[in-house]
Amino acid sequence: MMEAKIMGSQAFSYIDIDLEPGETVIAESDAMSSMDADLDLTATFNGGFFKGLLKKFFGGETLFISRYSNNTSAPKRVTLVQPVPGEIRCYELNGDEFNLQPGAYLASTDGVKLGLRWAGFVSFIAREGLFKLTVTGEGKVWYGAYGALLEKEIDGEYIVDTSHLVAYEPGIKLKLQLAGGIFSSFFGGEGLVTRVEGKGKIIVQSRSVSGLAGWLNPKFR
Amino acid sequence: MEIELLYRPGNTAAKVTLEEGQTITTESGAMIAMSGNMDITTTTHKKKSGGFLKAAKRMLAGESLFLNHFEPKQGSGELFLGSSLAGDMMTMDLDNESLIVQNSSYMASSEGIDVDMGWQGFKSLFSGESVIWLNLKGQGKILISSFGAIYPVEVDGEYIVDSGHIVAFDETLDFSITKAGKSWWHSYLGGEGLVCKFKGKGTVWCQSHNPSSFGGALSSSLRARKA
Amino acid sequence: MNQTYNITLTGELIGEIERSDAIAVFAKLFKLPLDKAHDFFHKAPLVVKKSVDGDTANKIQQILEKSGLHCEINPVEVVETEQSTQVGVMSESAVDAQDEQSGQEREEMLDSESEMTTEPEQPSASFKGLKFEMAGQPDYGFVTVHVPAGEMLKVEASAMATMDTNMQMKTKMRGGLGRMVTGENIFVNEFTAANMEGEVGIAPGAPGDLCHQYLDNETIYLQNSAFVACSSGIEVESKWQGLVKGFFSGESLFLIRAQGKGDLWFNSYGAIIEIDVNDDYVVDTGNIVGFTDGLEYQITKVGGYKSFFFSGEGLVCRFSGKGKVWIQTRSSAAFVGWAHWFRPVKSKG
Repeated sequence: MMEAKIMGSQAFSYIDIDLEPGETVIAESDAMSSMDADLDLTATFNGGFFKGLLKKFFGGETLFISRYSNNTSAPKRVTLVQPVPGEIRCYELNGDEFNLQPGAYLASTDGVKLGLRWAGFVSFIAREGLFKLTVTGEGKVWYGAYGALLEKEIDGEYIVDTSHLVAYEPGIKLKLQLAGGIFSSFFGGEGLVTRVEGKGKIIVQSRSVSGLAGWLNPKFR
Repeated sequence: MEIELLYRPGNTAAKVTLEEGQTITTESGAMIAMSGNMDITTTTHKKKSGGFLKAAKRMLAGESLFLNHFEPKQGSGELFLGSSLAGDMMTMDLDNESLIVQNSSYMASSEGIDVDMGWQGFKSLFSGESVIWLNLKGQGKILISSFGAIYPVEVDGEYIVDSGHIVAFDETLDFSITKAGKSWWHSYLGGEGLVCKFKGKGTVWCQSHNPSSFGGALSSSLRARKA
Repeated sequence: MNQTYNITLTGELIGEIERSDAIAVFAKLFKLPLDKAHDFFHKAPLVVKKSVDGDTANKIQQILEKSGLHCEINPVEVVETEQSTQVGVMSESAVDAQDEQSGQEREEMLDSESEMTTEPEQPSASFKGLKFEMAGQPDYGFVTVHVPAGEMLKVEASAMATMDTNMQMKTKMRGGLGRMVTGENIFVNEFTAANMEGEVGIAPGAPGDLCHQYLDNETIYLQNSAFVACSSGIEVESKWQGLVKGFFSGESLFLIRAQGKGDLWFNSYGAIIEIDVNDDYVVDTGNIVGFTDGLEYQITKVGGYKSFFFSGEGLVCRFSGKGKVWIQTRSSAAFVGWAHWFRPVKSKG
C-alpha cells in the first residue's frame, strides 16, 4: 500500500507519496513539484471530455488530471503540492461521501470518484458555481486551501464567510444570507455569508485569497 | 557567527549573532531589525575587494548591484534577516565546494564565500522563466531562502524537478530540460510542460511551492494595473 | 477535589522535527525568550504545567505532541492550592522566582511564566478579558472570540470568517481621516451578542501571526493595517505621525493608537517577534507592527550615504527608551512588489 505523508506544516503543506509497483495516484494538473524520473505521467480528461469541461467551468477544477503510475519494480516517489501556500489534509473515504468547495481538490487514490452535483442557485449567487464537487468511493482524497484548515463541529446553525468554507460532510446544508443589514453588508465588507445548517463537520480556511487581495490592493501604486 | 532560524518553515527569520570583528554579507533589503551598535557598509561586491566587472554582471543578471556588510561595534550584536516572500531558510557550510543557487534564494554569506554571477549553465534553456543562477564557492557559511518549505532530494540516478521548484543543487550534477513522463503531449496536458531532469549523484534542494503558480491563483483578484 | 495532573516534558522529540525548531515552538507556546527556552529544554525532563485537570492536561499534551514535543501526564497525589486562586499563586511565585534567582525551583519558575498561547482556557484571558482561542499560528493566525451576552466586539471590516447566528453586525465609520487617505476600508464592524453568548471567528487578510494584548489603561501604537479587533473598552483612532516620520515610515502617514481597558488583537505579515528595548534598537520601517507607549522613535538612515541610497534598507526606525516593539519577519512592500507583476492589465478603451 502506498505511503503518503503530508509535510511542510500548515504554512506550506506538500505531499510525499511513495508509490509501490503497479500503483497510481491522480492529481489536478500542475501539482507535481518533483518525482522519480521513471514514473509514468499520463494526462486524461477529468472524467471524460464533457464532464471534464463541466468540472473546469463549474467545479473550479482543471480540465485535465494527471495520473502518476509506477510501472517499475521498486517503490518510487512523487511530491505533490497545491498552487497556493496553505494546509493540505487527507480524508479517508469508506463508501461515504464528502463535499469540497471549488478549487479545494488536490489529489486522490484510484478508487475515489469525483462527481459534480447541483448546488442550487444560492451557491451560484455566492460566486461558488452552480455545482458542488462531491467525492465518493473508497480511498484517500487530499484537499487543501490557502491558509490553515480549522475543523468545526456543527449541530444546528452557524455562519461562515463564503470565501472561507473549504469542505463539509453530507449532513450539512448551505443557505445564503446577508451578513447584517443592507448598509452593513455593503460597507462592512462582509456582503453575503453562508449559513450552514445540520449536523456534521465543516472545514474552514483561516485565510482567503480574496482577503489577501483586499489587503494587497490598497497598497498598489 | 551564529545563525538561528526562527518560525520555520512558514515565515522564517534568521537571527544572526556576530562577535566583534565578524562580518556578514547580505542581499540588499534583507535586514528586518538589528541592535543599535551594528555598522552597515554597502559595496558592489565582497567587502574590501570586488571589481567593477563582477558588479556589472550582477546588474545584468537583474540582481541588485549592491551587497550589504554588517559588523557590530563595541561588543557583539544581533541582526534579523527576512526574505521578500514567505517561506523557509536553510544554512549550509561550504568547504571549498561549489553550489548553484537560484538568484532570489541567496540571502547571506560569511566572508570566505565568493558569490559569482558567471554561471551560465541554464542560460537559454529556461528562456521561458527568467531565472538567474548564482555560483557560491569557497569556505564558510551560507544562508538560502525559498518560497515554501525546503526539501532535499538525494539524486542517485535520475530525478525530475518542476522548473519553478529548484532552489539549489550541487554543481557535480548533470541536468537537462525535458518532459515529465514518457510523452511530451501528456507532460504538456498535465500542466507540467518543461521540467528539469537531474542525473548523477548529488543533492538538489527543492522548494515545495512555485511562486508563479501562486501568482497565477491570485491574479484575477488583484486590482488591474496599467500596461 | 478533582484529580489533577502535572505535565512533564521528556525532552524527546516526535517525528522529523529539528531540535532547534522544537525549541522555537516551545518558546512560542510558553512565551519564553529563545535562549531561556533553550536552557529549559536542556534541563529536561521537567514539569511544564502543574496541577491542571484531566481535560486541560490532555489538551496541552495534544498541542505539545503536535509540535513534536514528547510529554507525559502524571497525576498529582496531594493538591493543596484551590483552582480559583491559581492565578494569584502563579503571579506570586513569579515574584519569588525573580527575587531568589536561585534556579532551585525551575519547574515553578517555568510554570509561573507559562501561559500557553494556544491553550483554549487561557487563565489570563478568562481572568481579565474576553475568552478566546487562537489557531493557525504563526503563519495564518485565526482567533475565535467568545462574546458574552449583550457585549460588543469591534472587528476590522471584512475580517469576520465565522460566527454564531445570534451575532448582530453593525457597520460604523472609523475615527480619523487617515484611512480615507490611504485607501483602506474606513469602516469597522461591531458584533453584538444578542440574548446569549456568541462567538466570532476572525481572519485578517494578511498572511501572518496574531497577537493579543490586554490593556489596563495603557496605550499601544500600531502600524496602519495591523488592527484586527478589540473589546468595547478600547478606543482606536488614527493618529497623524507628523510629516517627516510619516512620510518615511513605510506603511503610511498614520499610526493607530489603541488605548483604554480591554482586549486588543493585532496582526502582522509574517511571524511576530517581540523585542524588549532597553536602550536602542533599529527596525526597518516596513517591519514594524507596533510598539508600547513611552518608547521614543526616530526615522534615520543607516550607515553612510552610499548605504542610504543603495543598501535597499534606506530609512530605518531607531527606537530608544524602555518598552516593547513587535516586529514582523516579512515586509508588505516586497510582497506588493512581487504581486504587482501578476496584476491583470487594464484593457484599453
